[in-house]
Amino acid sequence: MPQLRDSSNQGPGNRTQRSAEYDSYARIFGIETEYGVSVTGANQPCDPGQVAMMMFAPILSRSRSTNTYLENGSRLYLDVGSHPEYATAEARDPSQALVQDLAGEEIMRRLVKGAQARLRKTHGEHATIHLFKNNVDSAGHSFGCHENYLVRRYVSLPVIKQQLLPFLVTRQLFTGAGRVSDNGFEITQRAAFLDEGVSSSTTRSRPMVNTRDEPHADPDEFRRLHVIIGDSNRSQWATFMKLATTHLVLCVIEDAACRGVSSGLEACGLTDPSASNQAMSADLSCHQATMQMEDIEAFRAAQQKFGTQIVGNADSTGKVTALEIQYLYWHIVSRFVEYHGDELENSLPHTSCKDILNEWKRTLDALSEGDFASLSNRVDWVAKYQLLTQMERRNPALSPVQAQEIDLNYHDIANGTIYPSLLKHGLMETLVDDDAVEHALGNPPTDTRAALRGAFIHQALHSGAAFSCDWTHLKTTTPIRCEATLIDPFASKPDSDYEQLMNSLR
Amino acid sequence: MAQQMKKQQQSAESDNEIQEQVKKTGNVQEQSDALDAVLDDISSVLETDAEQYVSSFVQKGGE
Repeated sequence: MPQLRDSSNQGPGNRTQRSAEYDSYARIFGIETEYGVSVTGANQPCDPGQVAMMMFAPILSRSRSTNTYLENGSRLYLDVGSHPEYATAEARDPSQALVQDLAGEEIMRRLVKGAQARLRKTHGEHATIHLFKNNVDSAGHSFGCHENYLVRRYVSLPVIKQQLLPFLVTRQLFTGAGRVSDNGFEITQRAAFLDEGVSSSTTRSRPMVNTRDEPHADPDEFRRLHVIIGDSNRSQWATFMKLATTHLVLCVIEDAACRGVSSGLEACGLTDPSASNQAMSADLSCHQATMQMEDIEAFRAAQQKFGTQIVGNADSTGKVTALEIQYLYWHIVSRFVEYHGDELENSLPHTSCKDILNEWKRTLDALSEGDFASLSNRVDWVAKYQLLTQMERRNPALSPVQAQEIDLNYHDIANGTIYPSLLKHGLMETLVDDDAVEHALGNPPTDTRAALRGAFIHQALHSGAAFSCDWTHLKTTTPIRCEATLIDPFASKPDSDYEQLMNSLR
Repeated sequence: MAQQMKKQQQSAESDNEIQEQVKKTGNVQEQSDALDAVLDDISSVLETDAEQYVSSFVQKGGE
């Protein structure tokens, strides 16, 4: 049994109060994205790693660290040989997390443009830096877009494996970003590169969900669920739905764990999550029975009980379609949403749970009917696949490497042309306007501790004090030594320690 | 009088139906034109050296 508690966790100290949100359905969302960097068109050899460091020069010069927290509460990270990484500030709502993620893209984009201008002085006017928001390079190295969800401590790891993992694998039907692979087009970017289901190792193998227990919160109350199985999305709708639907499933799981009852999701357990992941990723029809269930009878019984569609017979292979699994999740969540009414609706400050449900159902129905056309303006893999098939129709001589180029261009947030073209011609839906993104470049969410961190950083930069921080601590060293702890991610109001720290900066 | 109103209502409804149909066809055409425009943009992308573009993106060190 892996060691669940990080021995370096500090205790809650003199805290006597629980987080106000411990007993609610409120959630903290975070998205960490690793970006890929490449250079083309340079008139002399150029190392992308050095280019990445050059990108970050303006930021590194002020922080003397590879880990830099910004005034909008987010974190930029770059290390030698690493992917530039952006981690969004804590958000209470998927739409907020989406805005923060888009702000991250824009921050990265501007850093690239700056570096590109400098690069062109030495490497020719055609030197172009590509910044890929994707998950695989051309040599089969994989990197991530990780989601973080704050989850109540009483949810156990076996429960996560049995009840959440099948959802994470099958949600890729609408969250997958698509990939041109050696074996043809796949729905997901990462299926070929993920093995174990749930693991506490971060380097030896690549699990789908990580359980390393740095909750960045009171460990007696919360655990941080670190979801690794997820593609980097260009589609704003996909990023939003990824977080929103997962939130609802987590609510069902938490509630059942809290009350010590069955959630109904036990029947969804997969025999081999990794194999199922790869199988569903290769099935573009979305109708093949690719998912091997731990207990097929229990699954069929659950389908009957919750009134969801059953495809095929209770045969001996024990396999079902990914869609069937999604529909069962939908029905269980739908019943839960109906039963819990306002209490659940209040879990998200800016989004209606009923709206999430409706949109989720609409998507599953479209997949069920094979109506991919209606999904091409929101599901990344469908959009990409449509473009590739249409290009092949126009140009039957389209080569595999050209298809790969189209795939990569789709994800290039600095110099890519395909995604902007889709936007320009009204073929890709957006959920967020430019003003909101612009605002989020310099402003954190106001309803989480990110607000306190952002204000501290802003003030510290303004005053010229030497400071440092991480997700839970704020500290100044010169001219005055002072610090404050932000243990509750939901708490956006200052306490006395924080006031003292801020006063020392004025 | 009631029957006349009903007829008018029906004809108004079928006018609306036709309008809807025209809008739909219009939308389908717009969609098709839009897709063509994007495909044109992709064709420009393919004028570059795809081999160089793809092979230049190699990056280890991810999670």
